[in-house]
Formats: sequence, structure tokens, C-alpha cells
Amino acid sequence: MYWFAWRQLRLQTVYAAGALVLLGLALTFTGLTLASSYADTVAVCGTDCTDAVKAFLRDAQTGAPAAVYVTGLALAYLVPPLIGAFWGAPLVARELETGTHNLAWNQSVTRTRWLAARIAVTGTATAAVTGVLAWAVTAWAGHVDTVRGDRITPLVFGGRGVVPVAYALFAFLLGVTLGAVIRRTVPAMAATLGVYALVVASFPAWLRERLVTPVHTTAPLDMDRLGDLLINQDTSMEVTGKGPEGAWILTNQTLWPDGRVFTGPADAASCGRDSAYGICEKWVSGLGLQQDVVYHPSTHFWSLQWAEAGVFIGLTVLLAGFCFWWVRKRVV
Amino acid sequence: MKPVLTTRGLTRRYGRRTALSDCTITVPSGKVVGLVGPNGAGKSTLLRIAAGALPPTAGEIEVLGGRPGSGPGQLAKVAFVAQDTPVYAGLTVGDHLRFGAKTNPRWDDAMARERLKSLGLKLDQRAGRLSGGQRAQLALTMAVAKRPELLILDEPVAALDPLARREFMQGLMAHIAEHEGSVILSSHVVSDLERVCDHLIVLVDSRVRADGEVEDLLAGHHRLTGPRRDTADLPGDVIAESHVGRQSTVILRGPAPEPDPAYEVEKLSLEDLVLAYMSSDARPALEMA
Repeated sequence: MYWFAWRQLRLQTVYAAGALVLLGLALTFTGLTLASSYADTVAVCGTDCTDAVKAFLRDAQTGAPAAVYVTGLALAYLVPPLIGAFWGAPLVARELETGTHNLAWNQSVTRTRWLAARIAVTGTATAAVTGVLAWAVTAWAGHVDTVRGDRITPLVFGGRGVVPVAYALFAFLLGVTLGAVIRRTVPAMAATLGVYALVVASFPAWLRERLVTPVHTTAPLDMDRLGDLLINQDTSMEVTGKGPEGAWILTNQTLWPDGRVFTGPADAASCGRDSAYGICEKWVSGLGLQQDVVYHPSTHFWSLQWAEAGVFIGLTVLLAGFCFWWVRKRVV
Repeated sequence: MKPVLTTRGLTRRYGRRTALSDCTITVPSGKVVGLVGPNGAGKSTLLRIAAGALPPTAGEIEVLGGRPGSGPGQLAKVAFVAQDTPVYAGLTVGDHLRFGAKTNPRWDDAMARERLKSLGLKLDQRAGRLSGGQRAQLALTMAVAKRPELLILDEPVAALDPLARREFMQGLMAHIAEHEGSVILSSHVVSDLERVCDHLIVLVDSRVRADGEVEDLLAGHHRLTGPRRDTADLPGDVIAESHVGRQSTVILRGPAPEPDPAYEVEKLSLEDLVLAYMSSDARPALEMA
């Protein structure tokens, strides 16, 4: 049965491997350029790195490396749902659609073993393809992510580390299950993409920040690390300090010493239209404002990665259980 | 000899629709059994239940001493060629054989290859490029190479042209002649079954109407033609009757009626017999002993 499961996937695996090799070539060539740029700039900048960082990011964010950076991130996000739609959804649905389940399930192999073999083989290919992809993209982007300090931010996080593999396994089982339930390949593919997008998007939007307890700090507002200082027409103010470097900032508020949120009003004498430069900042710094930040520091990256991967592996196992039950009992 | 298939009160419903209703039959071993009835009579439902592809809603079924589809051992004993004889369009003929060889403990690879060779099917041909007749032959080859104790074929020739139909039935008959085992095949066309079957089950409107050896069935039915008459006083069971003008035609089940010069008594052909059951609605089902 494993031979047959592999036979049905063989061609697609060859395509996937070919695509990975092409990507590998692009990553290698641009990776070498980036590594030498890094070695000349950030690696040797010592204490004052502002210019070195700028130089490195200029190299990383123009030309081929920029294109490869975006492509790698896009692939890490797109390959899992595509695997769900093209490897998962047809796995049972195509058999039911063409009637070949009647051939497959009437050899001397139970449906359970048939499904187990097919899920094991395609699941292994899924994990292998996304594992190699995620590892390659993460390794390639290592210096860029460190310098930009953004690998934990929602947009980058899902395209790095281990979560793409967990996303892909989830997408695959989601596709298999929806295919078995819907029984038609194309609608099952569409449903897989839709449900996958909803579930995965809910993580950066609501769920991910709760997987690990975020850090909550309240400290005097550091006027040297001021992000915004805005004075509106009605004299209300928006003052925000910069968040910690390399962190995923969940909330960042400026508070009065008594804990109320600071919104002005601005002092007309210090922050008026004719006030001299710097006077307003001086006035603000005398108010005793506090910066209240809730955030995930960059050190939470791997605990968040494993926690989110764990959740998706759990969902995958639940889907698999349901899928086996459905195919055994409900598909007739 | 143990029967290959026994059912008691076997029923299958799809929602409100009843596809098979209270079916109680016993299929003797070593026979070629034809299951005949109009489209939608429940033939596929019965065969799919027997193959283990479909669980019954109620009633009992035993196939070769086991519950259909209960495990690999049971699956190995029964081969099922589904309606439309599905094959994997993207795979080659050889891939199909390899699939059969890898998944069936009693697979007869030499026989499968020999059979395909004699049919002119090449192993490297894609199954999707085969004609309907060749596809059916490949599906039949997969089924017989499994060396099953029971071979079930669900309308195997329904989609085929007359030539392919004849070739398929010839192949099947050749297999039956050379190998032991039981065969159940269904069709809505009696002529497909006539030459191969020695036992016939007529299924109409989800119910078994007639069930018996072909010879017994033929011996136990008569057609009475003559002046118009009431059918109540006739011996045996009236299967079908028609009254046109002053003439009556009655099809009777039971021993031959007393000779009567006014009436012509004839034996029926198998086709007429089955048609009589198909056209007679709402009559009680009786089993031929």
C-alpha cells in the first residue's frame, strides 16, 4: 500500500523537489552576497553600528536579495495552504469523484490502512518540503531578521522557524478531511483555502499573543527614546515612547503618574505655535509620565514558535481522528 | 455446501428513500448468480453491501461466513467490480497490476499478465487512454487475479457497446469455466445474464420478487392465453395478467395448469419471465424452493 501511496504522489514530489532546488540556488547566490555584505558592515562595526546597519540593509533591501527575501517569505506563507488544496483536498475527494475508491477499497486492504498509508506518505512529503523550505528561508534571512529585529512581529513570524511545517500539516489534514466530507475536489480545495486562511489569520490577530504570557513593564518615559510627540489643534497630545528593540509590541501607552492615559492638554506656553524648539519636550519630561508596554521580547520567539506549532499539530491530530472515523463509517 | 451469501431482512435506506427492503436470500456456493431488475431496483445497493462498501441500515448479511468488509481477510475473499469499472486514469496498466500484487495476499500475477496480453493490453499504457471495453477488462483482470472465493460484478457491461459487451462476457465465462468460486453479477438486461447464470434473483422496486435456479424458474412458470377470464380460480400465483378485448394472457407461477382445449399453455423464455416480474407491481414476493 505504501508503494501505491507513493506512486500516486511521485510526480508531485518531483515537481516540489525541483522547485525547492531552484529556490535553493537563488538562496545560495543571494545568501553569499548578503553574508559578505554582513561581514563587511555589521559584523565589524564595534560600538557605533548605525551606519553599518544602514549599509547592510541597503544591500539587503535592493535588487536580487530584496526579491528573494519577499519570495521566501511569500513561499513560506503560501506553500502550506497550497499543499492543503492540492495534496490534501484531492486525496479522498478525487477517489470518490472518479469512483476509484471502489477499486482501492476492494483490494485486501482495509480503508483504515489505505488512508493511513496515504496520509503517512503525503504527510511525510509535506513535512519534508515545508521543513526544508522553512529552514532554508529562516537561515537565509537570519542576519536580515536580526538587524531589522522583526522576526517575532506578526508578518515575519509565520514564515520562519517551525510554524510553517505545522501550518502545512494542518492544511494537509484539513484538505483531506474536507475532501472526504464534501466529496468533490474543486469545492473541497476552495473550502480548504478559506478555512485555512481564517484559522491561520486568527493567530496573529488574536490568539498568538496569549500562547505565552507577554512581558508587562511600566517605567518612567525615556525622553531620549521618544517615538511620537503630536499636538493636535484642540491641544490634546499624543506622546509615545519607543518600544523595546526587536520586540512584538502588543500595547504601548503613556500614562500620568496616577495611571490615567496621558492625552494632554498641551501647555500653551511650552507647546504653542511660537514655542522654541525643545521647550515642549522639556515640559513633557517634567510631567513624570510613565511608559506602559505589553510586549513579547525577541527571546519569546522560540517559545511562541513551539507553542503555536503545538497548537496546530494538536488540531492536525484532531482532524486526523475525525477523518479516519468519517472515511470508515460515513463514506459509502 | 455452505452458501456464499445469506441475508435476512436486509434493508438499506438513504434518508427517507428505501433502496433495499427486507431482502432475505440465500445464494448457494459455486454458482453463477444473476441479479436482475430495472434501474434503481436496489441491485447496486445489495451488491455494495455484500462487498462491504456499504453498511446496511437493518437486517443481517453473511458473506462466506463473515461480515462484509470486516477486515483484510474478508476483503481478500471477495472481489468487487464496481459499476463503470473505475481505474486510475493517470496510472499505467502495469501500475494497476503492481497495486494488486502489493495489496492482495493471493494475487496471481502470471494469470493477470497472461490475461492482459491475450486482450492486447500493454503494461505501459495509461489506463486513462483505454477504451471503455479495455477499462472494464482491466477491472475484471484486477478482480480475478485476486483469486477471490466470490466475485461480484455490478452492471459491468452497462456502459459498453455490443462488441465490447460480448468480449467482456466471453472473458468472464472463460474465467468461470477455468476457476472455482462463486460469481454474482447484476444487469438490467436479461440477455446479458442468460447465457452465464445458473441462478437468478429478480429484484424490483427494492424487493426480491423471484429467486431460484434458472431451470426451476423456467419449469415453474407458465403463460396461459385464451378467452377472457377471471384469474381468481387459477391454480398457483398470478405474476402478471393482461386483458385485451376478449383475450386474457396470464403468467402463472406453480405447476402446469390442467390441460384445457380453450387455453394455450406455454413455457416462458427467461426474458419474458423476468419482464413479467418487472411489470407486475405490488405482488407478494415468494421464494422458489
